[in-house]
Amino acid sequence: MQPFLIQLLNGVQLSMLVFLLAVGLTLIFGLMNILNLAHGAFFTMGAYFGLVVANDTGSFWLALLIGPLLPFAAGFVLQFFVLHPLAQRGRSTHLDLALLTFGLLFATAGAVEHVFGSAFHSIVTPDLLKGRVGLLGMEYPIYRLFIIAVGIAIGVALVLVIDRTLVGATLRAGVDNREMVTALGININMLFALVFGFGSALAGFAGVVSAPVMSIYSSMGIGIVVTTFVVVVVGGLGNLKGSFYASLIVGMTDTFAQAYLPEAELFAIYILLIAVMIFRPQGLFGAVGRVA
Amino acid sequence: MSADVALSSEQRIGVLKRLPLPASRRAYAALFALFAVSLCALPSFVSGYVMTLAVEAMIAGVFASGINLLTGYTGLVSLGQAMFLGFGGYGIAIGTALLGWPLWISAPVTLVVVAAIAAPIGAICTRTRGVEFLLITLAFSQMFYGAAIKLRWTNGSDGMTGIPRPDLSLLGVSADNPTVFYYYVLAVAVLSLLMLWRIVTSPFGSVLVGIRENERRMMSMGYSVANYKIGSFALAAVICAVAGILQSQYTYFVNPDAMSWQMSGEGVLMVIIGGANVVLGPFVGATVFVVVKQALSMITEEYNLFFGIFFMLVVALFRGGVLGFISTPIGKRQ
Repeated sequence: MQPFLIQLLNGVQLSMLVFLLAVGLTLIFGLMNILNLAHGAFFTMGAYFGLVVANDTGSFWLALLIGPLLPFAAGFVLQFFVLHPLAQRGRSTHLDLALLTFGLLFATAGAVEHVFGSAFHSIVTPDLLKGRVGLLGMEYPIYRLFIIAVGIAIGVALVLVIDRTLVGATLRAGVDNREMVTALGININMLFALVFGFGSALAGFAGVVSAPVMSIYSSMGIGIVVTTFVVVVVGGLGNLKGSFYASLIVGMTDTFAQAYLPEAELFAIYILLIAVMIFRPQGLFGAVGRVA
Repeated sequence: MSADVALSSEQRIGVLKRLPLPASRRAYAALFALFAVSLCALPSFVSGYVMTLAVEAMIAGVFASGINLLTGYTGLVSLGQAMFLGFGGYGIAIGTALLGWPLWISAPVTLVVVAAIAAPIGAICTRTRGVEFLLITLAFSQMFYGAAIKLRWTNGSDGMTGIPRPDLSLLGVSADNPTVFYYYVLAVAVLSLLMLWRIVTSPFGSVLVGIRENERRMMSMGYSVANYKIGSFALAAVICAVAGILQSQYTYFVNPDAMSWQMSGEGVLMVIIGGANVVLGPFVGATVFVVVKQALSMITEEYNLFFGIFFMLVVALFRGGVLGFISTPIGKRQ
């Protein structure tokens, strides 16, 4: 029973990590209709920038705070100066932009390898979250519980912001009718770039958060981004709540496959995805083009 | 807004008008023949190194041609075609090494099996379109990539070695000789191209272009769009598998990397460089790609970095990228 519970918690922890990535990806897609294949690049950027900060200052908390700033800036610049101007010109914009970000994903992995080499790095767990805690008669690392808490907190905060605040209302309006929002005097390009930056920052945040439990290496983003794609497709592209549930489903599937069916470890989530595509091609939680 | 729509429908008519006419077809055939003759003469003029590059470019060209059928002609952008490249290589490896069949049985059986596997995969994938199609093809290829790494009887991530080249002793030559292998690849590439040309100039090919341009109209004209898409997917898969067979014979081995995500991306890149919608385009794109890749590998070890930058530049500079690229020459003519 206890190993099962531990696997369950591990699954939730992985789910929350993937959720942090999926939420940015799905927000960007829902709002701007851009499939950002480079989302994993921002994950990598955040992790490495966090690593640099942590090595310089010795503080995990500073790394967590400052690490996401670089992906935020990079995401903002990418959308405002590259993707948006290109989208103004192309015909089949979303596919072109997806392919462009595909190139960016590999360029980032290559650039990181050039600067940091191909070694594996890690950020030390902060003292406050070290050790294990007794839970239902077993021991569980505090840090992993912290990841779960962070994921849930960010999910709740996002739902509140999008449902209850003016910014959220503007975003929802932007999805429904972009021209009307522009006519009301809102600089939608700036708003989109900020959201792109924010989504990228969340991916970078996930990179720092994961650093104490997973390794930091140059192609770390390429692996996890495919899992994230599975999540957003299962949850329905552009659907925020759907991506939360889908993160749990995918994270659990992956964790339990690794624990109990190691032969299927590398493809269990794809079988899940294919099953979803056969029965509900629009994703389990439907409604494409919605932010919330 | 409405002006945009009107323009694009005119553009669409323009595309349909561009479907090969007899005269342009003859010019095309002449060009094609010239191309083939100069490739035949190549070994007597250049060094072994250039011939190696030419072999790589032709194999990549066959691979990109398969992608072009799906992406350029049918309008479905896939990031998972490398799985069929891997299927081709693994197919003959399993056939010859594990089952002990001769190559001339293994190769056709491989192609039939690939078509049989690709049809249901295509049936699932073509239920979606646009970026979702891109994602699900990617997921399928990642799944098979994962399976190839895990499977014991194909040696997991080490892959399989000892893949035979065709036995040409009847002609008194050995395919292990680079020049002979060059001609073998050239023959297969030309055959694949002719087959592809036959496909895209047939009524079937016109329906595929129709789907790309206006799927709803094709549907209301009574075409079973779903079946045509599955057909296109399966044919593209078979052509990619041919490239996979050649590739594994060229290197004498196959490993899961043949199915990697990056390989699929490279194929799409070649199609964009060469220009979708042209039969020879992917070969041009493949040649450019192979040469650039060689040049890059001479000056830097950070291949990923430059591959990524190169990719971004091509997508950004070729206006409209994959699908928009097709409309560019028509836009200029108007």
